[in-house]
Amino acid sequence: MTESTTPAAPALEARDVRVEIGDKTILHAADLTLEAGRLVAVVGPNGAGKSTLARAVAGMQKTAAGAIHWMGDDLGGLRGRKLALRRAFVPQRARVPDGLTVTEAVRIGRSPHLKPLQRPTRRDNEVVAAAMERTGVTQFAERKLTTLSGGELQRVQIAVALAQDAPVLMADEPTSHLDLGATVAVAKLLRGLADEGLAVMLVAHDLSLAAAVADTVVVMSAGRTVAAGPPLDTLTHERLEQVWGVDASVKAAGHHTALHVAWLGGAADHGDAS
Amino acid sequence: MRRTAVVVVLVVAVVAGLTASLALGAVDIPLQTVIDALTGNADPGPLRKIVLDLRLPRTVEAVAVGAALGVAGALLQGALANPLASPDVIGVTGGAGFGAVLILIVFPGSIALLPVGALFFGLLAAGIVFAIAWAGPNAGGPGRLILAGIAIAALFGAGMTSILVAYPDRVQSALFFIAGGLTSDGWSDLKVVWPYFAVGFAIAIALARPLDRLALGDDVAASLGARPRMIRLLSGVGAALLAAAAASLAGLLGFLGLVVPHAVRLASGTSSHTYVLPVSALGGSALLLAGDTLARTVRAPIEMPVGPFMVVIGVPLFLFLLRRAV
Repeated sequence: MTESTTPAAPALEARDVRVEIGDKTILHAADLTLEAGRLVAVVGPNGAGKSTLARAVAGMQKTAAGAIHWMGDDLGGLRGRKLALRRAFVPQRARVPDGLTVTEAVRIGRSPHLKPLQRPTRRDNEVVAAAMERTGVTQFAERKLTTLSGGELQRVQIAVALAQDAPVLMADEPTSHLDLGATVAVAKLLRGLADEGLAVMLVAHDLSLAAAVADTVVVMSAGRTVAAGPPLDTLTHERLEQVWGVDASVKAAGHHTALHVAWLGGAADHGDAS
Repeated sequence: MRRTAVVVVLVVAVVAGLTASLALGAVDIPLQTVIDALTGNADPGPLRKIVLDLRLPRTVEAVAVGAALGVAGALLQGALANPLASPDVIGVTGGAGFGAVLILIVFPGSIALLPVGALFFGLLAAGIVFAIAWAGPNAGGPGRLILAGIAIAALFGAGMTSILVAYPDRVQSALFFIAGGLTSDGWSDLKVVWPYFAVGFAIAIALARPLDRLALGDDVAASLGARPRMIRLLSGVGAALLAAAAASLAGLLGFLGLVVPHAVRLASGTSSHTYVLPVSALGGSALLLAGDTLARTVRAPIEMPVGPFMVVIGVPLFLFLLRRAV
């Protein structure tokens, strides 16, 4: 179901975004473009401003300067439900309340489509069921959130966002607390959603994961976007050295990717591992 | 289904409580006479007067105060994502206690101002708490609000204690208010505070669904287009109005606001606010009607403060639910 028609304006176009918190500038100048059917991974060291950029373009963090347009419309004019119908945001650490079941949580994701005091329609229930099916959480639909594993919980969070039924899905480090199996499940899910036509943005720490799933990698360093492009062109040995200060390189063979790191420095043995 | 069962049980409890509250007391009045009095068919006489002028306003107060405290607790627990939240936490109870004790002890000649004093200082305390919580970094976060509330509650609590210590010979007159209790003094107090109840309940109804959006945290709420800080502020305002109005009629019954929403969630198995808010209103009314009827009848004609009785009824029930839940 890849969308063949390209919309006139990209799903998101953000230029020179600047964020100040108190008198500290967190984000100096950051750019981001998201398009339907494509997955963008934002990578960078801790504190580079990845999450701040994601939150700023999503309208969840006040900006000091810059131009942010969703489907051609200025972010400033999009508030509340209007914005919620254009983008869904999966936070890094969502609260896990007592007493809420998976189904109840996913239903909350549908709320932007409901007017105050309106009851969910059959269509709303169908979207909720489809979101749960797509993320593979249906088999534990009636369990309480507090009983789920980290990977299951993350898939529920994505289901909440899918129930929102917005053309853009943004996820802030969705895999950072997950084991390998759960990470792969989430990576496959996000890639699949992009292939089905969503514009997907993912903030990631894992460079080999980013290289494997992303169409475009955006590298951030010290509050600026310093590079954007196809993963292997962007995550070069020189850039990893400049931005992370590490002797490392990303290797790819088909769908397999690996990050080769000189963990203890010194020995320049990158390139000959296979 | 469990949810329906809880509602049915509580409706039965409220109806039984209403009946008992109107019929029982220093004088037991036959049910038929109560019904005749309410429908305007009773012969004019002392019994009719007791039902309409003394017990009916008191019963209405019990329903309003119980519902208000149940709803205030549910609003705050939802908005602050904290199971320990209750009207005490945003300073209302401390402020109302100070205001009431000030009138009762320092200005006993102006006793008619008691509800106004409790209401004013309850809302003042909450106002100071919100002003502190909505300033500075992380403005409007639950942690900031709770800490500001604890500090301001301690301040007004100290003020209240100071007054009690300064006038040891008059402490007796304030004890009833501090322990919490309703009085049979007609409709005058209700006439003063009903608008505060009305606005508070209206805010609660409007917030039921927005509070559900807050359940998964501020970021998810923001993703869904809600405004978490605004929801939290409105919840606080609604809870402050309800709790201050309740305190002005019935003294310090903080226990009710803390426990009733928990009992509702534990018994029904759901945390959805479209359910918990109205059912907490029912539960609070039922508990306070039962407590007040006991307080009036156990040692009739002497009236006991209702606070301890509600605890006697509420704590075992609550512990039973808690045991079953864990």
